Amino acid sequence: MAQRKKYFDDHYDVVIIGGALAGLASALTLANKGKKVLVLEQHNLPGGVATSFVRGGTEIEATLHEMMSIGTPECPLKIRKFFDEMGVDIEWLRVPEAFRLVEPGLNVLVHPGDHGNFETPAKEIADACDDKDGSVYKKVLDLLNLCNRVYNSVNELSIHPMSKVMMLLKHGDFVKTAGYSAKEVLDTFHLPQKALDALSAYWIYVGSPLSELPFTIYAVLMADYLGYGSYVPAKFSHEMGLKMAMRAEEMGAQIEYGQRVDKILVKDGKVTGVRTAMGEEIKADYVICSAYPNTAYSKMIEPKSEVPEGAIQFVNAKDVGVTCFSVVLLLDDDAENLGIKDYSTFYAPEGLDTDKIWENYATEGPWKYITSICTNIANPNATPKGSCIYSITALPQPKAWFGVTEENYDEMKRKNAEYFIEMESKRLGVDLKKHIKEIVIEAPCTIAHYTGAWNGSIYGYRHTMDDHIVARLQMGEKENYIWGLAFAGAHAISGDGMSPQVTNGRKAAKTILEFMEEKEGK
Amino acid sequence: MKVKGFLKDVGGASRVTKARQKSWENASKEVVTRDPIGEVARLLHPGRFEVTLIEKRDASPTARTLRFSSSTGHFPYFYAGQFLTLQTKIGDSLITRPYSISSSPEDTRGKDPFVEITVRKSKGDGFFCDYLYEKAKVGDKFLAEVGLGEFHIDLIRDAHDVVCLAGGSGITPFLSMAKQIKAGKLDVNLTILYGSVSEKDIILKDELEACVCDKVKVVHVLSGENPGWKGEKGFLTAELIKKYSAKDTTYFICGPQVMYEFLHAELKKLKVPARRIRFEVFGQARDITKFEGFPKEKADKTYQLTVVMGVHKETIPAKASESILVALERHGIALHNSCRSGACGFCRCRVLEGETFVCPNNDGRRAADKDFGYFHACSTYPLSDLTVRLPIAE
Repeated sequence: MAQRKKYFDDHYDVVIIGGALAGLASALTLANKGKKVLVLEQHNLPGGVATSFVRGGTEIEATLHEMMSIGTPECPLKIRKFFDEMGVDIEWLRVPEAFRLVEPGLNVLVHPGDHGNFETPAKEIADACDDKDGSVYKKVLDLLNLCNRVYNSVNELSIHPMSKVMMLLKHGDFVKTAGYSAKEVLDTFHLPQKALDALSAYWIYVGSPLSELPFTIYAVLMADYLGYGSYVPAKFSHEMGLKMAMRAEEMGAQIEYGQRVDKILVKDGKVTGVRTAMGEEIKADYVICSAYPNTAYSKMIEPKSEVPEGAIQFVNAKDVGVTCFSVVLLLDDDAENLGIKDYSTFYAPEGLDTDKIWENYATEGPWKYITSICTNIANPNATPKGSCIYSITALPQPKAWFGVTEENYDEMKRKNAEYFIEMESKRLGVDLKKHIKEIVIEAPCTIAHYTGAWNGSIYGYRHTMDDHIVARLQMGEKENYIWGLAFAGAHAISGDGMSPQVTNGRKAAKTILEFMEEKEGK
Repeated sequence: MKVKGFLKDVGGASRVTKARQKSWENASKEVVTRDPIGEVARLLHPGRFEVTLIEKRDASPTARTLRFSSSTGHFPYFYAGQFLTLQTKIGDSLITRPYSISSSPEDTRGKDPFVEITVRKSKGDGFFCDYLYEKAKVGDKFLAEVGLGEFHIDLIRDAHDVVCLAGGSGITPFLSMAKQIKAGKLDVNLTILYGSVSEKDIILKDELEACVCDKVKVVHVLSGENPGWKGEKGFLTAELIKKYSAKDTTYFICGPQVMYEFLHAELKKLKVPARRIRFEVFGQARDITKFEGFPKEKADKTYQLTVVMGVHKETIPAKASESILVALERHGIALHNSCRSGACGFCRCRVLEGETFVCPNNDGRRAADKDFGYFHACSTYPLSDLTVRLPIAE
């Protein structure tokens, strides 16, 4: 037997488990501060679900719908700013519209405004409601401007925390709406049902019905998408993960693919390192974990006695967010020839009542709220001429999939996929089945397989009034149950979404830097 | 909720903070490990596991079928048409090769689950194939990955009528399909047009025959001089294919590379839309130096290949005429691989320094990967001394 080869250095400042967007944002932040960083990613690619695949020679986007918080090069928002600061140079393409919403009695196309101006979307929504006297327009505009003020407050307060009195003076709307759900606040505007529905379409990007969703989250979502528009990378979401990884490596981080971490090693309440599935023990003072806290506390911390009771209660109190069911099609004609005009369409065949859809999302399907994306509308060169990418997605709750076994998996997948294709064929007035060149069905098990996400969840812990973003921010430091361990991923403070993963990763890096300061201060 | 309530309410933040605190004080202290979706995912995609050769039998005078059991007692329920990979160490080399599965997916269920492959004695150019055909014996163990590749019927995408165009050992994935249909577990009409030179070249003849039913038809087409043969003669021509096709048919093609080119032209004559033609991947190029764009003067060169894995570095020789994956295998350096056709991307690596040639038929790289020197080792060839970065593997 040859001597065992040595693949790792004797010691790292920080080991980051998972090279998805959050882990890579952590790696960039820490490497930029000169820390010795090792990223261990179990898959052979960076990016996590932000990825693409190649079928029959054509590259196809796997998951990305749209990125928020990018903004224009002249007026960059926080994600573009961060990438600029880190030297991550991504070719962003602006998505032409915000969304189309189709439900019985309503078919409305909404465009985003620019630089926080909401007149365009407010007008389009009001027009869909037969707004004769302009009162609907005014109310919608008022609501969106309220969202924008809350959004600006959140952005400012996350950088510069301040006293309660100052907060009340400078961020009154944020303070006053913090205790209410999106539904409670929306109700005070007395909007016609159609306008309410148009203003509810984005709920799926946070996966919590409006009656349970904190208004704060709703406001951030609405202001960002409708006030500033959204973007996609020219070379699919893989461009993002890859360029983040390449920059982190340039800054000195070591990134290793195909490396699953099985254990986080802890001694006397402090992190000491990790052990990989290959049996390599790697020493580190700090660990950022992208695996769900559920996985970390139930399976990864070694020894188990080092898991504090509070940590167990912490995960048990949380409601694991939605998983994903997505049918990705490569069609054999150009989008325009197939009657596909829009980039993103929300379709509620039985109406947009988010409570009812939430109940429906707990069943095995068919699911009654679907999002369709035609990549080529925002990125005309995404695929060769004479083809286009069309994906259809619902985000059921994990429990919807608990009855699925190895035996009935294929049938469950096919049944729901057929339903999706039929539903969209009817809506578009074209038989999509006659144009399928490639089909890939991404089911909850697919997510679990590629990312190891707890119960295949892509949204981390659900935003609810009991797990409110404001409370998360206020209590954040109390969640560091093990000294030197931080979490980065959809299960972290900012929750789900690709852009929030960058924020989550930066926050985890900040937590580690605080640990470091604390250690030096001692 | 009163209409104007929230406008005066400044206690929201502390209220939601208390609610959150409370929800987790009230939470159970019991460790919950239940992750049903993750558990099913691990059954569906178990990764690599050990298999044992438990039976070897002749499938023709020049082909043998090998049956494997799983050391875990479990096989994933693959799609008929998919392949498996087998890995083993022969001398200093660490070899992985893909083989289409010739047994039915249904054979992975039940009390004694198994999978089978059928290998044909090569003409001296199939190192591992000949090893399996001649030397491998019952009781031998391999590292396997089961259920790979995209070459399988998709009930949503494909037509209800499927015509399989097979040549040589390319029949194996179609036998798996035929068996599953015969067992009533896959609902399509399958016609297999199987081209061979003579009757003695037909492999798996009896097993194919056993699958014939109202949904499975097997048509042997012989191209050589075969006195007394009453069946179809010649090649798999457009005319012959048309004879056995329904109005809407999906064609599956598996066989030697020359057959692909021939059939591509024949199907073009029939104006078959591209989405109705499914190819099995080509496999490694037989002779990369013959490809357009390959610098002929480098065909006989051997270069220094420096391999970086983590902080480890080593240098091995690598021939320009052999893929980087083969150079690594020859020196026992592990790199996860599967299709060996540039498509699956398992063997994705990165060039740090040096020049390479990518087989144009087998370039399945992502656009962003190309920009940063990422390559698939099975379809990439050294054209200078080279430094590459590999994922760490045992």
